[in-house]
Amino acid sequence: MTTPPLLEVEKLTKHFPVGGGLFRGPKGAVQAVTDVSFSLKPGETLAIVGESGCGKSTTGRALLRLLEPTSGRVVLNGEEITGLAPSQLRAARRHMQMIFQDPFGSLNPRMTVRETLLEPVLLHEVASGERATKWVETLLTTVGLSAHHADRYPHEFSGGQRQRICIARALSTRPRLIVCDEAVSALDVSVQAQIVNLLQDLQREFGMAYVFISHDLSVVRHIADRVAVMYLGRIVEEAPVEEIFARPRHPYTRMLLEAAPKPEPGQARREGAAQGDTPSALKPPSGCAFHPRCPLASEVCKTTRPGDTVIGAARVACHHIEAATERTSIERPWPPALAARLKVLAEARARG
Amino acid sequence: MTMATDTADRPLAMPANDGGEVAAPPPRAHWLRRLLRDKAAAAAILLLALICLGAILAPWLAPYDPALNSRAVMKPPSFMKGGVPEHLLGTDGQGRDILSRLLYGSRLTLLIGLVAVGLGGAVGSFIGLLSAFYARLDPWVMRGIDILLSFPAILLGLALVAVMGQGIVPVIIALAVSSVPDCARIARGIAMGVMKQEFIEAGRAVGLSDVALFRRYLLRNCISSIMIFLSLRFGQIILIGATLSFLGLGAQPPAAELGMMAAQGREYLLFAPHIAVIPSVLIFLIVLTANVAGDALRDVLDPRLQT
Repeated sequence: MTTPPLLEVEKLTKHFPVGGGLFRGPKGAVQAVTDVSFSLKPGETLAIVGESGCGKSTTGRALLRLLEPTSGRVVLNGEEITGLAPSQLRAARRHMQMIFQDPFGSLNPRMTVRETLLEPVLLHEVASGERATKWVETLLTTVGLSAHHADRYPHEFSGGQRQRICIARALSTRPRLIVCDEAVSALDVSVQAQIVNLLQDLQREFGMAYVFISHDLSVVRHIADRVAVMYLGRIVEEAPVEEIFARPRHPYTRMLLEAAPKPEPGQARREGAAQGDTPSALKPPSGCAFHPRCPLASEVCKTTRPGDTVIGAARVACHHIEAATERTSIERPWPPALAARLKVLAEARARG
Repeated sequence: MTMATDTADRPLAMPANDGGEVAAPPPRAHWLRRLLRDKAAAAAILLLALICLGAILAPWLAPYDPALNSRAVMKPPSFMKGGVPEHLLGTDGQGRDILSRLLYGSRLTLLIGLVAVGLGGAVGSFIGLLSAFYARLDPWVMRGIDILLSFPAILLGLALVAVMGQGIVPVIIALAVSSVPDCARIARGIAMGVMKQEFIEAGRAVGLSDVALFRRYLLRNCISSIMIFLSLRFGQIILIGATLSFLGLGAQPPAAELGMMAAQGREYLLFAPHIAVIPSVLIFLIVLTANVAGDALRDVLDPRLQT
């Protein structure tokens, strides 16, 4: 029953040195990501959520080695990405692609769509000559654009269209893993729904796995199989998506779910909403990094970092899981606009 | 790069000479039209083009050999009192036709300026782009550039002439070297802005080599801004070049060069001022038109200045 994992991440760590100059060493390090471990099966979607600055994007970039990890191991499809020489790494990028947050900034403005899409195809020898041209056209239609868009420049497209181009580029080498870094956050809600659905359709068709980095819980709930919650560079809870929304175990997860915007104006705010700011990643708090903001914090939290506790399919790093789990489950519906939009699109799809 | 077989109807541009790719996104006709709508810019470009044309066609346009002495010395221009119709702009102290010398002189002056800006711009921009591309190099490269910045062009010219002997080559080298730090700083600034954009990372994520990333992503996005800076720099270089000639470095007689012509006319300034004034006016016009045209080009092409 256990399929071998496509992606294994072990104790991935990325610290950025700060300060220092030409002749001085760095003064300290921003501990952006520390000891992040997870694994991903083929065709699965893992969402990484958390506040801004918690290290989500750094995790995504470090696991593709767009940022050189400080330590840790990343194994994709049996190949240890973290140990590859630069030329091998470039070749390995065929199997791992990325979709970026900003559809306006992530396409080279001086290259036509055709050039942009041909580039990875020719580079990784996916196809050549006439077949490469055909493949580019196929890609464009696959992501909902048409072949005549190929000779236009990025500035001639809308944000949603550009994100489709980015998806086509990520898809062009038939990768096994795509990291979506806030891939829909910059789009408006109706376009978000289209892109989320497109990503799901493509996953069904091509079977690649997604690491879906987002701060938008409603989108995560729609697309993810599993969710990892990050706080100050560490994963504090990881669980299947229904589990995490129905029974959030870590107090920080609860806080996040509480903080998400509520669609019904009449509903009262529950207690334990977000308090305080994220501490500095330059000097994370001792023990459990969340203790200064945690309603359940006790002495032990200040001194000892909690290890991972496995409960069923969930993995939680907290000293007070029992107390945390006692609370009522939190049901969170879609924002009405997105829900309506998704319904319309689902119906359209069902009709064929 | 592995762009082996590519028969697509629009092949991947191999940006060996990126000059042609400069203004891809804003359609060419569009910015040209906007450029010419600016009357001052249109006039400056027209005048500069005329001067360049005159310089290029000097052997056909010049009525006399620029080095040919005659007995008609220090004749004022033909439209002034005492002028002779054979010499439209008069003659200098040795009876050489000023119009002919002007045409040939602007040729040399423009050539010195172009080669110096081209060399200095290419080297400087490359250093600047590289420094932005490899952040690790940046502090070292920029400190080196600071050292270079501390040599004034005129001093450098004098030193080079002392070492290499007189001629236009040491002057060109001095001018080129003195443009390197400015160009490097400007190119670095432009490139830093481009490097911050996500598409650089996207290119890396696709698996591009550094060379491809540098050429197709960084250079292509910087080149138009750099060209604008160089067109502004051109005017300054012409001026410094003329200054060096005026000081007697650079071109040697009997060759004509605008700065040198002005210097020679200095001796007759009191009784035949036109000998010095005419070449000085031409230098002034070249510098002015180059600056106005460069400014206008920047206004039209620089997206940051567009409202």
